[in-house]
Parts: sequence; C-alpha cells; structure tokens
Amino acid sequence: MKIPLVEPGTIGPCPVAPDALQGITRQQTNPARWNGAGWQDFVAALRAADVELVESVVACGVYATDAGGTAYGMPHGVVIARDAGQVSRLLKTAQACRVPVTVRGGGLTTEGESVAFGGVLLDMSGMSRVLTIDANALTVRTEAGIYWHSLAEELRRENLDYLSAPLNLTSSVGGTLGVGGIDVNSARLGCSADQAVSLQVVTPTGEIVECSDTENSELFQRVILGYGQFGVITEATLRIRPYTPLAMHYYYYSSLRAAIEDLQMLDRNDASDYSGILTIMDCAVNLLVAFDSDEREAAFRKHWESRLRGHGEFGFALCMLGHYAVRPWKLGEALYLLQRKQAVFPEFRRPEYLRAGKMHDRSVVFSRAVWKHWGSRQMVIPDLATSADKFIAAVERGNAICRKYFRHYTLYCVGIKLRPEHKPHYEMSCIPPDADGWAYGCEFEPMIEGEVYSRDHFQAFKNAIYDIGVDLGASYYRFGGMMKGYIRRVFGDAVVDRHLALKRRADPAMILNRDVIF
Amino acid sequence: MYSRAMPREFPACSGCGLCRLVCPMWRDHRDPRFSPEGLAKALQSGATALELAAPLAACSLCGACDPVCPEGIDLSGMIMDLRSRLPRRAELAALQAKLAQAAASAKAPAAGALLLPGADLRANPSLLARARTLLGLRSADDDGADIALALETGGDIDPARRRQLLGRLDGRSLVVGDGLLLAALRRWLPAARLHSLGEALSNLVAIRRRLASADFYVIEARAYHADYERLVVHYDRLRADTGCALNLDLQRIAIPALTRSLTRKSAPLGDEDVTQVRWMLKGLAPRRIVVESLADRAAFERACDIPVLHLAELAEDSMMKKETPHACG
Repeated sequence: MKIPLVEPGTIGPCPVAPDALQGITRQQTNPARWNGAGWQDFVAALRAADVELVESVVACGVYATDAGGTAYGMPHGVVIARDAGQVSRLLKTAQACRVPVTVRGGGLTTEGESVAFGGVLLDMSGMSRVLTIDANALTVRTEAGIYWHSLAEELRRENLDYLSAPLNLTSSVGGTLGVGGIDVNSARLGCSADQAVSLQVVTPTGEIVECSDTENSELFQRVILGYGQFGVITEATLRIRPYTPLAMHYYYYSSLRAAIEDLQMLDRNDASDYSGILTIMDCAVNLLVAFDSDEREAAFRKHWESRLRGHGEFGFALCMLGHYAVRPWKLGEALYLLQRKQAVFPEFRRPEYLRAGKMHDRSVVFSRAVWKHWGSRQMVIPDLATSADKFIAAVERGNAICRKYFRHYTLYCVGIKLRPEHKPHYEMSCIPPDADGWAYGCEFEPMIEGEVYSRDHFQAFKNAIYDIGVDLGASYYRFGGMMKGYIRRVFGDAVVDRHLALKRRADPAMILNRDVIF
Repeated sequence: MYSRAMPREFPACSGCGLCRLVCPMWRDHRDPRFSPEGLAKALQSGATALELAAPLAACSLCGACDPVCPEGIDLSGMIMDLRSRLPRRAELAALQAKLAQAAASAKAPAAGALLLPGADLRANPSLLARARTLLGLRSADDDGADIALALETGGDIDPARRRQLLGRLDGRSLVVGDGLLLAALRRWLPAARLHSLGEALSNLVAIRRRLASADFYVIEARAYHADYERLVVHYDRLRADTGCALNLDLQRIAIPALTRSLTRKSAPLGDEDVTQVRWMLKGLAPRRIVVESLADRAAFERACDIPVLHLAELAEDSMMKKETPHACG
C-alpha cells in the first residue's frame, strides 16, 4: 500500500482502512523530521526578542523521547518557559519564521506527542510555581508547568488538595488539562481537566489571553482537552478541596466482567468516593474502593458492600487455593500470582503512608507503585474510553488482545463523571461522543519484565487496541492520546474538518504541536 | 526494580523525572539540566563531565534522588563520580592533604564503639563534648574528615589511606556525624553497625522526652537518604511518639535545609538557602527548631527568628549523666 505524501497542516487520506487490519503498515504519529529551513534566521530573531534558546546536544538530549520510549526525535533547540511574555515572543517569532514548536510538560505522552522532531522544544516545567491559594473560595492559581506532586505539596501545607489528577507524580497541570487526566475519584469528580476554572493561554500567534466558561469561552473550550492545538496553557485556576486521608477497601474477583459490573453499580449509586479496577491476571482482579469520611464509609458498608461479588483478601486466597489445588498444571500461574502479591501489595501498605488505618498521600503511594512495578524505559499503555454500556465489551476485547501479545499484563479501569455543561470541551477529545453521565476508561499495560520486544511488536499491539476503539465508536484517553492516523476514523470527517479549520485560523503557519493531531 | 544492593548506572534512566520532584537543585533552577535526570540523559547523549560542570557544582549531594529512583540508579554516586573527573580547586586538594596528614598521625583508637564527629561538630568542641557524653562514646581522632572532603569535592582517595581508616573502624559500632561519609562507610563496611548522629541522639530517652508537638525537627538529609528504608520507619515512630513536625515531603524524603553546592561551599548563606528554609516552614508555626546537623542551624538562624537548637542541646544537663553508655548498643 502506498502512503501518500502529506504537507504539514493537512490531513491526508487515512491509510488504515477497515479492511486492512492485517499486515499493512500503519501511519504513525511520528512524523518526518522538520527540515530546519530558516533556522538560523529564527534563532537570530528569537535572541533579538530576548528569548534564551539552548542548542547543545546536552540540553536537547533530555528530550529525546517521551514516557512511551518508542518515538525518538531531537529538537533543534530548547526554550525553558519562564513567563507568558517569553512564551508569547517565542510563538510570534516561530509563527513568522514557520518553525514548529513542540510543548512538553512532564513528557508522559506515549506516542511521541511531546517529542520534537526538529524545531523548538518548549519545556513548560520552568513555569512551575504556585501563584495564589484561596482557601475560602477553594481555588488555586498556578503556573501550568507545575507537576501535580509539587502542587499537592503546596496545597498540603494548608491542608488542601486538588480535586483529581493522574496517579502519576510527574504529570504537569498544563499537559493534563490538555488531554484529560483521570484519577480513582474521577467517577465522582470528573476528569482532571474538568477542575479548571480559568486559564491564561498564549495562542499560537502569541496573544496572551485569559479564558474561562464566561470569558473567551470558545478558546477555553478548545484548549481544555485540545491536545495543545489551540494554545499554550501558562497559568491555570483550579478548583481545590480540603485534604482528607483515605479509608481503602480492596475486593478481589476472578471475573473481570463481574468486577466491572460492580464498579459501575457503585458509580451509578454514588456509593464510594474512589473506585477503580486493577488486574493482576485474568482470574485475579482487584476492585479498590475508598472513602474520604467515616460517614461515607459507614453508608457504603451498610447499603452496598453486601452487593459486591468480590472477596476480601483472605477469602480470595482460599478461592485461589482451591482453584489451583485441582489444577496443578497451572502451578506457574499460581506462583506468578503469589509473587506479584508479595511484591505489589506491600507498596500500598507502606507504614509511612498509613496512619490510624488511613492512607495518606494516595497519589504518591499509587505513583511510586506504578513507576516501580509497571514503569520502564518503554511505557506501552494504549487505552480505550467508551460509554458505560460499551465498556465491558471494550475491556474484554482489549484483554484478549493483551493475552495475544504478552504473557502478563495489567488493566486499570475507572469511571469518569461527565459534566453536561462541559459538553463543548469534550468534542473531539478523550470523552467518547456517545457517553452520557459517565465515560469509562481502561488502560492496557503489558508487563515487560525484562523481555525484549521490538518496536513493531509494541506498535502492532497498540494498533490492535486502538482498532477496537474505532470499531466500537469509542475514544482514547490519558496517556495514549489520539494517533493522527486514527482521528478521521474515530471522529468522522465533518468534526475533524471543522476542528482543522479552527486550527488553521488560530495557527496560520501550523507550528504548534504539529503532527499530534493535525 | 529498585535495589540498593545492585545499583544501576545512567543508561538505565528512563526519564521518569521522579528525581526532580525531590531535588533542591531543580527547585532552585527549574531547568531539567539541573537535575539528576538531566545529567543522566545528557550522559546518554554523550556529554562529558566538563560539559556538565555547572549542574555538577550546583548539586548539594543531599541524596534525595537515590531512594525515589524507580530504576535503582545510584544517582548521587554518578554525580560524585562525574565530579571526580572535573579539574579540582587547588585549595581543596591542599585541605584534603592537610587533613590526611593529621589523620595519619592520629593514634589508633582503643576497642569499642566510636563517634566520628565530622568537621562541623569537631569545630564546636562544647557541643561535641555534649554529644559524646550523651552517647557515652569516645570520639575518634581519625574521623575520616579527609575522605569525607574527597567524597564531596571529587578528590582522589588514596587506597592505602582508605584501608588505614577502615582498618581502624572495622568491627565496631559507629556513630557518624558526616552523612556523606556514613553512606560511603555503609558500602565499605557492610557488616558494621552504623548510625547517623541524628538517629543515635534521637534514640535517647533524654532527648526524645524533650521533643514536643510544637517542635520542628530537621532531619539531616544525607544520612537519611542513604538509609531511607530503615530510617523512614525510625522517624515515623519519632513523629508518632513526640508529635513533632519533620522536614519530610509528600514522599517522606527529607528536605535539606541548605541548598549549598560545591561552588558556594565557603560562601555566605545565600537567598536560595533562605528560600529553602521558608519553604520548609511554610504552613508551620513551630515554637522551636531542632536540627541534627550544625550546618542546617545557620540557615534557620538567618531565615527566621524561631529558636534553633541542636539535638544534643535538648537534653537537660542533669539527665546527661544518667544515660547508659552508647545508645546504639
């Protein structure tokens, strides 16, 4: 199959046809390297505009790849963001010189979205200070390059907390607002992007604009969940809440379907403050449920706990013992299960994070565990986001794909409460168009375990998961983003062309985060 | 998988950035080049030590990056190794030679547990005497000050000199005042019973009962991070027993009071240190600040008007005489 050449800023015909799922080269997010035309003139203009640009290999090498570890590219130069004015001057100059600018927060993308294939890499982590905390209005104003961990540290000093953030300490606020972000409380509080009250945005042409639902609302709608296409978020005002430690409960299932049904039952009935599923194996599925207050926990115990079909840890251990006692040929599986239990479970019960039986600083606990037990130089985490009624089918099909490609893998599932008033934000985003009330997300994460897999193997696996999304009319959330090659099939020509026209109007030279979507 | 026993090297860095979250150098510069991750990634791109001279000099070697690295990379070891490849300032080499000469002429200590006070405590004889009495320990004439300086500043350590020091210390129970030397001794004397000065003093009943919920207790960062898995439990108990606040971040990593780098080692306290101290105290209103390290005291005294005490100054004079010898067994 011949892939046609595509000019930057245009979207060519999709080479991934529905009837070509096997053995056909897929179009990847990774584009060809920008050819560097006019770079020296750009550098001179940038320096005249008093913007510091670093071009050494030592500086550029930091950004050679992202968390995915399969896309590699080097920028021509790096700018560390310091203030909105500097970002504005950079974008104005880049627009005039037609130099691509790739924006990076925590660099936790997995398809190379925060990797610069030439041009300028704008590192937002230089803008990472909390500006003001309003404990009465329960809002915080922060520079958008800040990591959620650093924000949590500042808020904790005033016994406050953010609403929801990815369970990953090095996600940045700006990056998360641009893609969605989920937490184990998203079934109650929505995706992380929904907590944004207002933003300071530098548009692709360099204007510094404040936007919210009531001020420059069209820009606000496009920037939130907009994959960095319509501006660089330099500051954000976020809703916050009083800090609470968590009372955690774990229930264990041997059926993924039963666990998902129970998860959705809890979400529908607002029965818990936190909920999510983490699998160890197909026959060992963990539903975690947690509470901010003793009252909520007591209500759960009274009304909902008995309706869950999962077991406690001891009860499940007995079930597994019985299961494997009559299946001695599955001893290896049983040993793997035991080994994972011994390695992972203590991470969630480290004494320094537990006080009076409650977990403190959950994001630290979860994130450390994620990096320690699932992290590696290649984080391969394709995901699917669907409406509630399609979720079980999506997860079961994705699980079958995982089984085909990897020996061991983990699934992480959560609900995402949707805010009806934010429907305009959700268009062409991680939120599937047919979701109502809740969307559901599942990450499919293979355990690499020291094995060596080819990049093609990983990519084929990811494509197979993404194909499910196309087939079901779903979307993709959090790490995965949307692969450029899939966007027309997922959202259809009418929506994509409308957004492309908006993008062209906002970014005439198509310089900002080129090739992520457009 | 993280393992202290088998630390990995810079090629294993995946760029997760967890080290940045706890790095005072990063907090000060907000530039990824000034972080362990930035250094490891630069090395992966073929950078030389000379090209990395600025961040290497800016690092305070607090060691906070080591326990948080999910790949188990010996990041502070990497930085010390890179420092050793940089041209060394003549006055540091001269000071190391002078300290080594003094150590060579020191008498071999009699058998038994020892206190290795380190340069800061040795420079304060009355506090050293107090710590010695409280712990019931003799202090070693040769406390490895030259080796501690070499570790910090990237100097060569003569193998014969190292053997001499280890020969004098092997098989003993040791309380070590210098956090960087303590971390090295853990590697060199794996069977030895080693404690930081802060841990040893904070184990004493006479000290513990003088700590209160209105105190802000400042853990010495280097010693803490070098033995994180064990000490996080120790300090968690200390907090639970006394109610005092500790200089721990969300990850229970000790925030160093000083961001003093190699280049600013002999300079007066700077604005960075004041900023760091203010960050540590943000949201707190302690009655007293209790420090394990004398180096931290000056920073607090400059940045705030809250009384600052060294841990050894907490015990009442009358209680000191009642302590049983050697609190670390």
